[in-house]
Amino acid sequence: MLTDAEMLRYSRHLLLEDVGELGQKDLKNGKVLIIGMGGLGSPAALYLAAAGVGTLVIADFDCLEVSNLQRQIGYTTGDIGGDKVALMKHRLEQLNPEIRVRSINREMDKTQLLMELMMVNLVLDCTDNMASRQMINAACVEAKVPLIVGAAIRMEGQLMFFDHSQEDAACYHCLFPSNEEQGLNCSNSGVLGPVVGTIGTLQALEAIKHLTGLPSGIKNKLKLFDGKTLDWQTFAINKDAQCTVCGKTK
Amino acid sequence: MKITVNENIVQLDDKCNIEQLLIVLESPLKGSAIAVNQKIISRSEWVNYQLQENDQVSLFQAIAGG
Repeated sequence: MLTDAEMLRYSRHLLLEDVGELGQKDLKNGKVLIIGMGGLGSPAALYLAAAGVGTLVIADFDCLEVSNLQRQIGYTTGDIGGDKVALMKHRLEQLNPEIRVRSINREMDKTQLLMELMMVNLVLDCTDNMASRQMINAACVEAKVPLIVGAAIRMEGQLMFFDHSQEDAACYHCLFPSNEEQGLNCSNSGVLGPVVGTIGTLQALEAIKHLTGLPSGIKNKLKLFDGKTLDWQTFAINKDAQCTVCGKTK
Repeated sequence: MKITVNENIVQLDDKCNIEQLLIVLESPLKGSAIAVNQKIISRSEWVNYQLQENDQVSLFQAIAGG
């Protein structure tokens, strides 16, 4: 049952045929781990908190720097020097006191991550480096937890959804199999705030759809966003039978 | 044969696989992803995947930023 306060807060969801009271309860029961509280994680966490996702676990180990504020919209100038997860936890609790927020203020290894995955329904990869992305993917494959991956640099974005609860799911490693590759990041290439914000926002949209049981159009697909033209390209990703993370040869 | 790579026309020998294409284009193998006609081709298939006339190839890099 939703409380009267929740009925009011989420009234615009309740009007939607695709969400309604049942969907809102699904959101309330949802437990989402968001890894990375930067340019992707800021809008993703804010939208999921606002939407009433009942449990949010947020992970990061950085302090806020002045150069983050150009795109990481969860923070203010007065926050500089503070731990991002502590700042964001406070922000999300102020935004929506109906939800629970837990913060993880350290770099997790795969064992710790696998423990955390036992307590959530969904993971958003909002990190900024290839090593973390490969580890998160491998842990989600092992734990069979759905994973929504976002990435952005310059004026380009990438969005993928690997539903590891399903047998036919491809994985991030099928697409980018080399652990040695650096992958371009915001500090070496630059990025426009609304580009990374667009991708983080769409991770939140896909998360809400997943939690409320709405079908996703992007499972086992890669969406490429061009911030210059606003064009999207869509590519199908098939499970690679030779993949050392999710394939038969692992 | 003629194919397109990121919408630019590229002329190739008649027998060319994806790995050979990347060498012709002087593109790094690591960190690249390839789609042919909107379907991602896994890196393990690159050597065996023979390109065909009029294939639309998309070549892009892994991005890690966030």
